[in-house]
Amino acid sequence: MTPPRTARQALIVCRKELKDSLRDRRALWSIIFSVVIGPVLIGFMMNRLADRQRDADSVRIPIVGLNRAPTLVNWLNQQAGVQVVEGPSDAEKAVREQRESVVVIVPDDFADRFRESRPAPLQLISDSSRNDVRASVQRVQLLLQQYAAEISSLRLIIRGISPAAVRPLAIEQIEVSTAQQRAAQILTFIPMFIMVAGFVGGMQIATDSTAGERERGSLEPLLVNPTPRGAFVTGKWMAAALAAILSVCLTTVLCAQLTRLLSLEDMGIRLEIGPQHVGPILLAVGPMCLFTAALQAAVATLARSFKEAQTYMGVLVLAPMLPGVISSLYPLGNSAWLYGIPMLGPYTLLTGVLGGRFPDPSAFLTSAGTCLLASAILIRITTGLFRSEHIIFGR
Amino acid sequence: MIEITDARKRFGSVTAVDGVSFVAKDGGITGLLGPNGAGKTTTLRMLYAVMKPDSGSVRVDDVDAVAAPQAAQARLGVLPDGFGLYPRLTAREHLDYFGALQGIDGERLARRTEELIDLLDMRAIADRRTGGFSHGERTKVGLARALVHDPQNVLLDEPTNGLDVMSTRAVRAIVRRLRDEGRCVLFSSHVMQEVSALCDSIVVIASGRVVAHGTANELRHQTGSDNLEDAFVALAGLDHGEQA
Repeated sequence: MTPPRTARQALIVCRKELKDSLRDRRALWSIIFSVVIGPVLIGFMMNRLADRQRDADSVRIPIVGLNRAPTLVNWLNQQAGVQVVEGPSDAEKAVREQRESVVVIVPDDFADRFRESRPAPLQLISDSSRNDVRASVQRVQLLLQQYAAEISSLRLIIRGISPAAVRPLAIEQIEVSTAQQRAAQILTFIPMFIMVAGFVGGMQIATDSTAGERERGSLEPLLVNPTPRGAFVTGKWMAAALAAILSVCLTTVLCAQLTRLLSLEDMGIRLEIGPQHVGPILLAVGPMCLFTAALQAAVATLARSFKEAQTYMGVLVLAPMLPGVISSLYPLGNSAWLYGIPMLGPYTLLTGVLGGRFPDPSAFLTSAGTCLLASAILIRITTGLFRSEHIIFGR
Repeated sequence: MIEITDARKRFGSVTAVDGVSFVAKDGGITGLLGPNGAGKTTTLRMLYAVMKPDSGSVRVDDVDAVAAPQAAQARLGVLPDGFGLYPRLTAREHLDYFGALQGIDGERLARRTEELIDLLDMRAIADRRTGGFSHGERTKVGLARALVHDPQNVLLDEPTNGLDVMSTRAVRAIVRRLRDEGRCVLFSSHVMQEVSALCDSIVVIASGRVVAHGTANELRHQTGSDNLEDAFVALAGLDHGEQA
């Protein structure tokens, strides 16, 4: 059998598997769902985060007893984005019932104690179990501390003491990551969802065309055709890998649309996935799709039944999530050896591309090379399994 | 022509085929008759080269099926036990797929597909997905798929199993037609009436061995019984239980 004929037959098998799986409505919807759910989830969470950030920037402060602290109220009103309103009489109840996120109470003796330079009491009522108002509460605390610091400076100056004397430390926070790097950190789920899409996208074809084909009894008539076993395996693998790559494209496009829709600038994040990223993303994840499709086909062929194959897939689907988990526990950096590990390499490349730090071409080559080598070995193994009567005719 | 010589096959401690030899000639229908579990399917699987015999030889038109399985398969049309169709593909797409794998396509494949659709009277179901097909309709698709590359040798594993009267007649008509076209047809069954009505030559197989080989009349003579069913029971050694 000449190589061109084998390749042609692999293409025939690939075309049939794609056509067959496109008609499998239930499987198709499950793929579409798993591809879409990620971006939708990210979009939802990011939108909430952005809203909260905006809430904190423009804060509304209800104060009970406004007229007891006119200077404070004046000062607050002069700060950017701050709006002071008359507080509710039942302050604690209002916060507990979540009518207000925070209420400041100025007690009766505030003015007297303030004038006598004794600590003037202020009550800040908040509910620390509520995550959604934490930013607003922190903003109010910070404003009150700033006011206190200004007053104390003035009092020291009046008494002839330099305010610097009571500031032994001058802490300055310097953030070194670029905005895009920070975005990639915050949006670590985007690479994870792209990886999962690449894995899930090929899963259906990889299992249905191997374990499923055998269970339906259509494997035996198929193998009666004068076609090398390697052509069958290669064709089925190509179909699964192609579906996986298509899923990656779909997720990427969805994420790109998402970053455009979300007002990420509000959070100080500059993240854009544009047409110029699609190529590098495919270069990073494409070889992984080839590898995972080959792995799925090998595992599904080994499984005794379609059900058993699906069980194994349920476990294997953790593989594309693992790099994200590992890198959040042990920051991996970008050492060269990372790129030589099938799932870790593509993940590291992907975070690099999305974070605006374009990895070295040699990193792409190492990662793709490893994935291709692993795929070739797995296809060889699966072809061997397809030759085994034990596997073909069940056990 | 199909020739199997002293083929043996073991699965673990079970000997499924224990030295089977026979020849199925061109222009004839050879019946492989035996009770369930006699080794019919295993013998056929070695003939259509998806199983390798542990020892012995299989030749299809002078091609060694053990050494060159794909060359042998190109000369074989096979309807395996349980047809294994793809429920989401139409009847026509089944022919397209197997035709392409056999190396025919384009105009030639289209012409052959039309021929088979007419031959098997499946015009009405040709473009429907096979998912909802009746047993008879599935048999037709399986047969058409086996014949798409116009093979010289046709192997059918219990093709009439579970078919109604009309479908059985249709299958018999096609088997005769294939014989009249000069092909070699090998046909397995556990039903004696079927085999005696159709076959020019009968190979009786029991416990993995060929126990008799000849025409229906020769078998009757050999066992001294007028009734082929009695002859079969005697040949297959199924009468031990009755005597005991």
